Amino acid sequence: MKNFEYARANNPADAVRLVGDRPGATFIAGGTDLLNLMKDGAQTHDRIVDVNGLALTDISHGNGFLRVGALARMADVGAHRAVREKFPVVSQALLASASPQVRNMASIGGNLLQRTRCGYFRDTGSACNKRIPGSGCPAIDGENRGHAVLGVSDHCIAAHPSDLAVSLIAVDAVVLTNGPHGERRIPFGDFHLAPGDTPERENVLTHGELIVGLELPLTPAAAKSQYLKLRDRATFEFAVVSVAAALDLRGRTVNDVRLAFGGIATKPWRSTDAEAVLRGRALDTATIDAAGRAAVHGAIPRAHNAFKIDLVQRALSRVLHELGGVR
Amino acid sequence: MSKSAPVRTPTDLTSSVAGGIGASPQRPDGNLKVRGEFAYASDLWHEDMIWGATLRSPHPYARIRSIDITEALKVPGVYAVLTHSDVPGKNLYGLEHPDQPVLAVDVVRYQGEPVALVGADHPETARRAMERIAVDYEVLEPVVDMEDAAHGRGTPLHPGGNLVRHVPIRHGDQQVTAEVVVTGEYEVGMQDQAFLGPESGLAVPGEDGGIDLYVATQWLHVDQKQVAQALGLPLDKVRLTLSGVGGAFGGREDLSMQVHASLLALHTGKPVKMVYNRLESFYGHVHRHPAKLYYEHGADRDGRLVYVKCRIYLDGGAYASSTPAVVANAATLGVGPYDVPNATVDCWGVYTNNPPCGAMRGFGAVQAGFAYESQMDKLAAAVGLDPVEVRIRNAMHEGSLMPTGQVVDSAAPVAELLRRVKDKPLPPVNRTEPVDIREMPGGASNTTHGEGVVRGIGYAVGIKNVCFSEGYDDFSTARVRVQVIGGELSALAHTAACEVGQGLVTIMQQIVRTELGVERVTIAPMDTTIGNGGSTSASRQTYVTGGAVRSACQTVRGRLFELAARKLGVDAVGLSLHGGKLVSDLHGVLADLVDVLGDDVVDETVEWRHRATESLDPVTGQGNAHVQYGFAAHRAVVDVDVELGLVKVVELDCAQDVGKALNPEAVLGQIQGGSAQGLGLAVMEEIQTSGGKIRNPSFTDYLIPTVLDMPPMSIDVLELADPHAPYGIRGVGEPPTISSTPAIVAAIRAATGLALTRAPVRPEHITGT
Repeated sequence: MKNFEYARANNPADAVRLVGDRPGATFIAGGTDLLNLMKDGAQTHDRIVDVNGLALTDISHGNGFLRVGALARMADVGAHRAVREKFPVVSQALLASASPQVRNMASIGGNLLQRTRCGYFRDTGSACNKRIPGSGCPAIDGENRGHAVLGVSDHCIAAHPSDLAVSLIAVDAVVLTNGPHGERRIPFGDFHLAPGDTPERENVLTHGELIVGLELPLTPAAAKSQYLKLRDRATFEFAVVSVAAALDLRGRTVNDVRLAFGGIATKPWRSTDAEAVLRGRALDTATIDAAGRAAVHGAIPRAHNAFKIDLVQRALSRVLHELGGVR
Repeated sequence: MSKSAPVRTPTDLTSSVAGGIGASPQRPDGNLKVRGEFAYASDLWHEDMIWGATLRSPHPYARIRSIDITEALKVPGVYAVLTHSDVPGKNLYGLEHPDQPVLAVDVVRYQGEPVALVGADHPETARRAMERIAVDYEVLEPVVDMEDAAHGRGTPLHPGGNLVRHVPIRHGDQQVTAEVVVTGEYEVGMQDQAFLGPESGLAVPGEDGGIDLYVATQWLHVDQKQVAQALGLPLDKVRLTLSGVGGAFGGREDLSMQVHASLLALHTGKPVKMVYNRLESFYGHVHRHPAKLYYEHGADRDGRLVYVKCRIYLDGGAYASSTPAVVANAATLGVGPYDVPNATVDCWGVYTNNPPCGAMRGFGAVQAGFAYESQMDKLAAAVGLDPVEVRIRNAMHEGSLMPTGQVVDSAAPVAELLRRVKDKPLPPVNRTEPVDIREMPGGASNTTHGEGVVRGIGYAVGIKNVCFSEGYDDFSTARVRVQVIGGELSALAHTAACEVGQGLVTIMQQIVRTELGVERVTIAPMDTTIGNGGSTSASRQTYVTGGAVRSACQTVRGRLFELAARKLGVDAVGLSLHGGKLVSDLHGVLADLVDVLGDDVVDETVEWRHRATESLDPVTGQGNAHVQYGFAAHRAVVDVDVELGLVKVVELDCAQDVGKALNPEAVLGQIQGGSAQGLGLAVMEEIQTSGGKIRNPSFTDYLIPTVLDMPPMSIDVLELADPHAPYGIRGVGEPPTISSTPAIVAAIRAATGLALTRAPVRPEHITGT
């Protein structure tokens, strides 16, 4: 690990200034991913600004929204009654994440900035366009079982690791930030970036811009939602594939639906195409299968991850059958 | 020093001393470990110590054009930067063949190979200095295919080529044919020992120019020999003491930081501590050999084996480590615990640029076991028999002949072990609401509530050799001392046999209590001031060091009787020791041993050997190569979500013969732990490599079973004494690791109808997508 300077922020403006002043600075909250990245040498900073003292831990709801402070811990949000009742998909995604110890430390804001488990990205002895732009992507022809099939580019196929982010994109969350240029509201679908030819850029935050909270609109679909995660171990493991679904049925007809996927894409992956297949149609096995096909349209399989294309359709089918009570 | 506190021994003679063999007294280190107060090697500290760090190759195969340490030496706080030219002795070491450089000279053969060392005032200083060492590499195309390596294809990585060892076994008629033939190709992934305590130690320079090394290892004396050769020092100037070991499973049999810390200490004149982090640990120890196995079983229509032919390839990676012995095990145990009248076995261990592989629990028998048990299931299907029935029809028994021609000359209750696991009640199929989703495939992921879940049951049995084989002079040294301390009778047992967590310290105490009737037994630190204790591997320490401690106790007892005879004027014949008293067959209690001893001290050291073994004939593979065989059988019950490819092992039951359970609770612990490690290999554990590089060197990405993955076990322990072994014991640690993997995979096959020829099984193998 490189030497770095430590500073503690007393208020959001302070935090923004302390990071914004220094190109190599970054925020630290729970540190559950950042510290590992720094130890591995995958990320380096010369100043760490501790935001844990900021009053950003509230969870509240009213006026059609649930608001979650960026420093609320994963465990607290996952267990919160309003989250469990109004956004089961978010609660389930949180409780299926990591381990109890990590969930007790890790913040909601930090989780959105979690970085990929791609072994080439984490190994400083390997080339990686995300770590060293232009150095190449050995995953494309290498070990890529854990990698993405959607949202990929010739420069990067690393999968986004967050469960929470997949659930948030499915409920149209809004990311609230405070930065050098003032406050912003960023719709979740606009927050993360596919790699394109700049895989080092993973989101739209500008330097020094601090996530201060999330706003989740209360909707009938969100209240009837589910997160399904397939993984290689019963607990404490990232998704091989995951599905976040929110469903509002009128009789057997789909009034509203949101579908998002994890483990298969370079960013939290919402499929409006799959949603369009279902919206206004009767929910049955045929429409569910058609939605699954639409969800993986354009997927690019590699040597070791082609199985995900079928597996994620099976997972979607499972979750929609359960949510919709389809036999 | 550690001592335990068993229940006080009653003073009447009808009870023997508490905490002896057959009991399960508390471990002397148990409380400390549970409370987090036990000092592991990573906790070592010394005034004025500095920190050592290792610069490792980022490339699996490269030529080193130059190494420039100039800038690294300029970093303030750096005491030394060392390369191969600073190795004063022989810059090659190895357990069986010295082929591995202490520090690379002009070539690196695996990712993570040590190239240079830094000694500095702080680990971070060392790290910064390492970044300033300029190594100019010419990157070469790595050799990664084990079959090519076995058959002379591809770049030779060592002067003698890439074949480390080939063991052929030719048993019976080589031309025989059979009515029913089943064939299969199998693969086993590279498993890691995944011990929790990383490699660590402290090297302290001695005033005599020697070195005192405190280290977590499995075999002090083999470390001592290799360190002394590398340092160019006589053995008596390299003194090792075992530090707290946080698990081993074979991964500490090879050197890691031992020579490196010693080199830095001698060079700087300062104590040097080295501790690997988890990432470095994955590069810093050998793993289980990944394997490719080709099998053909011939049988009659009743399922009786006529022949087995197999070819086994084991990828040893860049250096030999214990590959030759692993190859011999895979070959000699390659047909499993069955009566096989004709066998043709070939096993190759090879060099590649993959991570070095060596000892891991099960040692060659695991890879073969996955293949031969998969084959037995295929045979059962081919002849229309139950999988257990086909195994019982072919089960080895006492008096059976191994393919090596060796007679199995003690209990081999293979059929009984299988019957026992088969006869156990099956867990209920719980498909009623509410279902605890943690009991379902997918674990806590809310994946299924029971619909679409198929149950499967699988069986397997395995065989493992116990102790070192092939003519190796395998012995242990034990010293036992009895004296009166503070008015209380006290015994001390001293060996160099490593406690790595398995409970040898408890076993040694139990043996001394039983043999000498002394309750208070102290275990001296394990070190090289006493003779070789041999390796903590091959399930051998209770057998060999236990045998040595018992033998030393017997010598001490003889001395005590002589002392008593002289002091009390009685005949030394017909005496015995009970609960601290000297007892005569004719006259009952003669005296308290405390009074007999007075100020005298009885202190005896013995070397103890098990019966000798022979080498294998290099052409036919015949020979009495093994000391003892151990057997275990498993039944696995799994629930599989066939749609999503997820597996929950519902129950994993085991029956094992242990000859004699010296410590029944420790025996159960070994069986549970070994079975869990086998479960890991069955469904999740694998070091993923591509192009010779490890892709998952962390416990975030290398998965080991959690408490949610490991099911309850019902365990039957048989005690069929081996007349050749001390107390009749049979090594316990490894057999349960062998049969649990194939039993679980067989159960998944039963649930899915799939062939599943590779371990670990992953979701995509089940969904077939």
